[in-house]
Amino acid sequence: MNQVKTQADTGTAVRQPRLTFAQAVIEAIRHEMRADDTVLYLGQDVGPFGGVMQGTQGLYEEFGPQRVMETPISESSMAGVGLGASCFGCKPIVELSFGEFLPAAMNQLINQAPNLHYMTAGALSPQVVIRTRAGDGPYGGHPQDYSVWFCHVPGLKVVMPATPPDAYQLMRAAIRDPAPVLFVEPMSLSHGRREVVDLDAADATLGSARIARAGKDLTIVAYGSELPHVLRAAEQAALDGVDAEVIDLRSLAPWDETMVMASVRKTGRLLTVHEAWKAFGHGAEVIARVTEVLGAEGRTVRVGRVGARPVPIPSGPLRKLALPALQEIHTALLQTAGIAPRS
Amino acid sequence: MNAIDLYRWMLTSRQFESALSSRNPRWFSTEGEEATIVGSFAGIREGDIAAPHYRGPFVTYLMRGADMKRLACQAFGKAGGYSKGRSVPFMGPAALGFVPWVAGDLGTSLGIATGAALALRRGGRGRVCVCSFGDGTSNRGDFHENVNLAALWKLPIVYVCQNNGWAISQPSRSYLPAPIVERAKGYGIPGVALDGNDVEAVHGAVTQAMERAAAGDGPTLIEARTWRKGGHWANDKTPYRTAADVPDHPCDPLDLMRQRLLDRRLANAADLERMRDTLVAQVDAAIEYALSQPNAGEPEFGLDEVLAPANSV
Repeated sequence: MNQVKTQADTGTAVRQPRLTFAQAVIEAIRHEMRADDTVLYLGQDVGPFGGVMQGTQGLYEEFGPQRVMETPISESSMAGVGLGASCFGCKPIVELSFGEFLPAAMNQLINQAPNLHYMTAGALSPQVVIRTRAGDGPYGGHPQDYSVWFCHVPGLKVVMPATPPDAYQLMRAAIRDPAPVLFVEPMSLSHGRREVVDLDAADATLGSARIARAGKDLTIVAYGSELPHVLRAAEQAALDGVDAEVIDLRSLAPWDETMVMASVRKTGRLLTVHEAWKAFGHGAEVIARVTEVLGAEGRTVRVGRVGARPVPIPSGPLRKLALPALQEIHTALLQTAGIAPRS
Repeated sequence: MNAIDLYRWMLTSRQFESALSSRNPRWFSTEGEEATIVGSFAGIREGDIAAPHYRGPFVTYLMRGADMKRLACQAFGKAGGYSKGRSVPFMGPAALGFVPWVAGDLGTSLGIATGAALALRRGGRGRVCVCSFGDGTSNRGDFHENVNLAALWKLPIVYVCQNNGWAISQPSRSYLPAPIVERAKGYGIPGVALDGNDVEAVHGAVTQAMERAAAGDGPTLIEARTWRKGGHWANDKTPYRTAADVPDHPCDPLDLMRQRLLDRRLANAADLERMRDTLVAQVDAAIEYALSQPNAGEPEFGLDEVLAPANSV
C-alpha cells in the first residue's frame, strides 16, 4: 500500500506497481475520480476508516466528504440515489458492502436500473457502478454469492474479475460505461497475491473474457474466486495427459460467447466452474448456450459443471463442505475429458 | 402561477384524464386530486426536476411543455409515445426533467428523486426536485430511507404526499396509525399538512418549501389531504367503500377554484365556459390523433437498445 500511496501522492513515475486486488480497485477509482469530478463514491465506512476490508483507503483523504460520501445503512436509498444522480449528470459508484446486502436494494437494482435506458427510449443512461464483495473470504463473513441473479435481467452488466490487473481495468471500464454495472469482488482474492498492474493499460473491456491457460483437449469456463483452483487443477490434469484451456470469464453479463464458442469448437468438451451454487447457476446458461449453438452446427459437446452444493453457505468449518474444492474440480475435469481419475 | 392558470391546468387534467378513463377501463382515475397534482408542480422552473406520483401525472408533463398528442399516444401504447410504447402508459418525457415511470413498483421514485436532488445540489444553480407520492407509498421503506438521507444531507428536495385516503381498496385507517406529516419531526425537517383540494394552498406551500430547499436548508414534507373521488382505476365501482368512508361534503377542487375566480372577478361564467370548450376540443383532437396512429411494433421494440452503447460517452 505504501508504494501506491507514494506514487499517488507525488504523481511520479511508478506506473506499474505491484498491487493486491483490493488495491487495484482503489487505484482504478482514484484514476477515474481524478479524471472526472462528476464521479462520486457512496458507501458505509468509506470515510476516515478507509472502507470495509480496507476497500477505499486513501480516497476520502484525497477527494473529501463532498465526493466520498458516507451514507446511513439504507441500501435501497443508496442504490436509488446513485441511479437518480446518474440520470442527472453524476457518475456515482455506490458501494453496498457485501453481496448479502444487495437484496435490500433489489427494487432499485431490478425494477429501475435495467429499465431506465430502454423504457425512456434512450433519454436517460444511468451511468452507475454498484460495487460489492461476495463469496468466501478471509474473515468468513457474508459468504453468499447472488451475482447470477443480476445476469438474468436484461439491462444490467455484471463483472467479477479474478486478478489485480483485471480488477483495475474492469473497474475503470465500469465507471466509464453508460450502463449500470454490478462490480463484484471475490472476497477470497481481495487481499491475495500482488501482481504488476499497468496503470496506463486499458485493453480489457466489459463483456470480454480472457484465456488464462491455453489448451486443446477441454475448455474450462470459470470466474472469480475459482480461477486459482481451476488453474491448479489444470496443471494436475496435464500430468494425466489432459491439456485444458481455461477461460476467465471476467464479465458474467454480457459474457464472451465468441471466445467460449471458439474454444469449445476446438476442444469439444466444456466444464464450468464457479463458487456460487451449481443449480440455476451461470454455468448452466453457458452450457445451454454452447450446446444450442454448437448443436445447430452438428457438433456434440461433452459437458460438466462444478459449483456450490444446494445449501445456504454455512459459517465456520462446515463451509468447506459446501464450496467447490480443488479435488472436485480435478475429478470433474477428468470426467468431462473422458478419463477416469487415477486412483 | 396565477389563479386562472392554476384553474386551467386543473381543468385540463380533468378533461384529459376523463377522456382517457372513458377509453381505458384500467386507467388510474384522477378526479378529485387535481389541486394537489397541479399545486405541487405549478412552481417548477427550468432546470428543476419533477417526480410526480403515478396518479395523474399527465398534467404535470403538459405544464412543462409535453405534447398532448404524444401523451395520448403514450397512454394507448402507440409508436409515437414518449417511450416508443415500451414503458407504462403513464410515463412522460424524461428529457423535460422528469423522474420517469419505467416500472410498476412503488417507492423507487423517491430514491431516484433524492439522487436527482444530489445532482442538482452539485450543479450549484439553486435548482430543486419536487417529488410526490401516495399515502400508500408512504409506508414503503424507501420513504423512510430517502427522507432520512435527504434530511441528513440537506438535499434540495420537496416531498409531497398526495394523500387521497385510499390504497386501492383499503381506506387509510387500515394502513396509517398516525398522520404522515408527523413523521417530519422524526427526521428533523418541517412538516406541513394542508387542504389538498385547495390548489392555491398547495402551490403556496410547495413554493415556500422549494425556496427553503434552494437556500440549502433541506427538505420539507408536505401532506396534501385530498380525496380520490373514483375507484383505483376507471371501471372500479368501489364496492368496498362504505357510507362511513365518504366525507359529508367531498370538496371538488375545481368547484372551489371556479368559485374563487368568479368571486374575485378574475373570470365570468362565459369565460370559463369558453375555456372548457377549448380544452375539450384540444383533448378530443389529441385522442383522435393517437387512436389513428400505429401501435408500437418491431421498429420501436429496440432489442439492441437495452444497453446504452459504450462508445456514447
